[in-house]
Amino acid sequence: MSTAQPLPAAPAVSPKAAPAPATPPIVEIEKLDFFYGDKQALFDVTLGIPEKQVTAFIGPSGCGKTTLLRCLNRMNDLVDVARIGGGEIRIDGINIYDPRVDVIELRKRVGMVFQKSNPFPKSIYENIAYGLRLHGIKHKDKLDEIVEKSLRGAALWDEVKDRLHDSGMGLSGGQQQRLCIARAIAVEPDVILMDEPCSALDPIATAKVEELIHELKTRYTIVIVTHNMQQAARVSDQTAFFYLGKLIEFAGTQKIFMNPSNPQTESYVSGHFG
Amino acid sequence: MKRFFDSELDAFRSHLIQMGEKSIEQVRGAVRALVDADVELARKVRAGDDELDRLEVLIDEEGVRYMSLRNPIATDLRLVVVGMKAGSDLERVGDEANNIAKRAIRLAAEPPLKEYIDIPRMAEIAQEMLRDALDCFLQHDNDKALAVIRRDEEVDALNKQIYRELAGFMVENPATISRALELMFIAKSIERIADHATNIAEEMVYLAKGEDIRHNDELKKGPKAE
Amino acid sequence: MTPRPDFPSRRSILRQPSWAARWEASLFLLLRVATYGVLLAAAVVFLDIGWKGGRVVFRAEAPFINVPFLTEAPESLHVLKLPDGATLKMGDREYRAFNEAHPEQVKAARSETYVYSAGGIFPNIVGTVLLVLGAMVIALVLGVCSAIYLSEYAKEGPLVRLVRLSIANLAGVPSIVFGLFGFGLFVVALGWNVSLLAGWFTLAFMVLPIIITASEEALRAVPKGLREGALALGATKFQTIRTNVLPYALPGILTSSVLAIARVAGETAPIMFTAAYVVRDQMPWQVEKWTDFFFQGVMALPYHIYVVASKIPQNDYTRDVQYGTAFVFLFTVAAIALSAILLRARLRKQYRW
Repeated sequence: MSTAQPLPAAPAVSPKAAPAPATPPIVEIEKLDFFYGDKQALFDVTLGIPEKQVTAFIGPSGCGKTTLLRCLNRMNDLVDVARIGGGEIRIDGINIYDPRVDVIELRKRVGMVFQKSNPFPKSIYENIAYGLRLHGIKHKDKLDEIVEKSLRGAALWDEVKDRLHDSGMGLSGGQQQRLCIARAIAVEPDVILMDEPCSALDPIATAKVEELIHELKTRYTIVIVTHNMQQAARVSDQTAFFYLGKLIEFAGTQKIFMNPSNPQTESYVSGHFG
Repeated sequence: MKRFFDSELDAFRSHLIQMGEKSIEQVRGAVRALVDADVELARKVRAGDDELDRLEVLIDEEGVRYMSLRNPIATDLRLVVVGMKAGSDLERVGDEANNIAKRAIRLAAEPPLKEYIDIPRMAEIAQEMLRDALDCFLQHDNDKALAVIRRDEEVDALNKQIYRELAGFMVENPATISRALELMFIAKSIERIADHATNIAEEMVYLAKGEDIRHNDELKKGPKAE
Repeated sequence: MTPRPDFPSRRSILRQPSWAARWEASLFLLLRVATYGVLLAAAVVFLDIGWKGGRVVFRAEAPFINVPFLTEAPESLHVLKLPDGATLKMGDREYRAFNEAHPEQVKAARSETYVYSAGGIFPNIVGTVLLVLGAMVIALVLGVCSAIYLSEYAKEGPLVRLVRLSIANLAGVPSIVFGLFGFGLFVVALGWNVSLLAGWFTLAFMVLPIIITASEEALRAVPKGLREGALALGATKFQTIRTNVLPYALPGILTSSVLAIARVAGETAPIMFTAAYVVRDQMPWQVEKWTDFFFQGVMALPYHIYVVASKIPQNDYTRDVQYGTAFVFLFTVAAIALSAILLRARLRKQYRW
């Protein structure tokens, strides 16, 4: 962050308002072009996602932010016509679209939380144990331990500890979404992708999920796509603004929301867009 | 429910308190330097103004940041808006203290015109008003704020009295004119400090109740308030 | 209401008589009559079979059920009209015993024989159950596999569309064509002769289109989010399908499959050239080698109805067998359908999203 001036010493309380400086990137996106069939969805996107921070992708519908998010764990592979036209995405220096990359291992490293909470129609316990079993963890004690740890990590333990064997579908919307987050963190990914995780939640549930995101960033790198600009402003450290498949501006969240360099960013974040 | 960014509001609040304490200290120091003809103290007061300036910038920055990123509503929004205005008032209080200190240095070089009684008393009231206004900020105490606003008249009355007295000196003995003028300006400064305290008190009413009582004499001194 | 002079056709919202309303009322009446007509026709058929068949299957005195009808093999009925005017009715075995004991009476009497009019339909029940079970296993395995391939793995393209179209068309092929196909392929070309195996495959092929379509539908009904959720946790495609798609689709698959099977269980045409015998003395488990089990023909309820209704001279005595068999058969099909519905209810409770 270049805009922040050195702050005077404030003896009473250290100013938490100071923006977090960008950490070294864990995911590097370089000159990425992406196509759905003949239609180009992303144009020459270059962006470094800093480790253990929250990076928000904002922009109007169809701007490519979700597409880019789904490129990061190759969920776009599921779409037949989707393909990379050029450029690469590196995680720990390895291009994840290299043919030698094991997509399964990649997805274990890069977890995902979806727009619509999608707990499996199994018990709360089994929802979390599912990913662990995929990783070959079968021992009951070990499973119990990680299930509890993950639920605690997702701030859900106290609410569900007495009904671990009830269906995950019986939880409220916000709890379901936190269950999905618990499921994602159970397999200890490096990066968690969140695709509009609060779009179906009420404000209280949203606040809880945001709180959770804020806590999780001490251990995980989080990338969040959101339509809610205030949410991006609240939870993220870095913000990337996309428009029509192009990365318009990428900077610290404070800069994007207080003093964006690009007039398009300015008109979007201030609500003048269109 | 506790929010993860509540700490930012706490920091904002404590910076404002810190600024208030500092400005009261500046006023007290300036008046003491005048009474004691203490040039050293006056210099110290003048140097201390920088901290107030820095705090004002910091508060504004935090306020703008909070409004941009946290989408404050209701009490939070009023707190930020009021905080920024009060910060500006406190900075002006600091400026007035600086002025008093400057004039105190000049007056220290000359024999005192008279024994200072009314000016310290006036300053005392102004400081009490400032302190009460800040207490209101901490306690959201509406009645106390209204009391501060009403005390402003006391200060105004003292100011007028000092003015008349000094005018008398100048008529009797033109040699006292420069000193009397300095003292008049000092009294004026204190009167302005009390005005800023009044502003802050009005802002505190707005913070506590969301009602804007500026330029509304009925609310300030009406029978209801008595 | 505010008057809207710019929109003059506004009228009161109170009901007013009009031709449109009368037309609508008569249309509803027509629809209602049509529905009741269908119900009436179905009721007549079921009541007729239920009443007449019920008289065969149920008895007024204990044990209330015509046990021999359900537990014995079909026999010829011998009716002896004795010179003294008495009439004796007996089954084949009884008749032979009677003949041994009283040959003079048999000689003196006027004797008439009606085939299949005595005994019961036990081998037919057994045969139908065997045919249904085997066909269901084969159809489910083949159908679910192809449905998984089509809906999860195959890339959408002209070829897949062609396959789907063919499957849809297959569902419309008349059952006799399936019967002939089974006869040509399994019975003649593969040399399985008239056998359970040939019947199983023929029936299975007949329900395959329904099972594939229904299974694809059930698989597609599983929310995309569940697949993505599993894939995002690092599951392979097969793991995802096995643990997180198929279990949730299974209720739907099973229900529609069982219902489809219940329907083809009633088909006569596919089995009459491939698996069904008019009469067979051994029960299906009376085989020398276990492999012979698969290569034996069986008696079956629908074919039996066909035979007793059309292949033998009609008389008062065959009527009972016809109605009794039809009644038992309807009951069997209803039981299969009911079990499917119960199964679905059970599984649904387990998985809900």
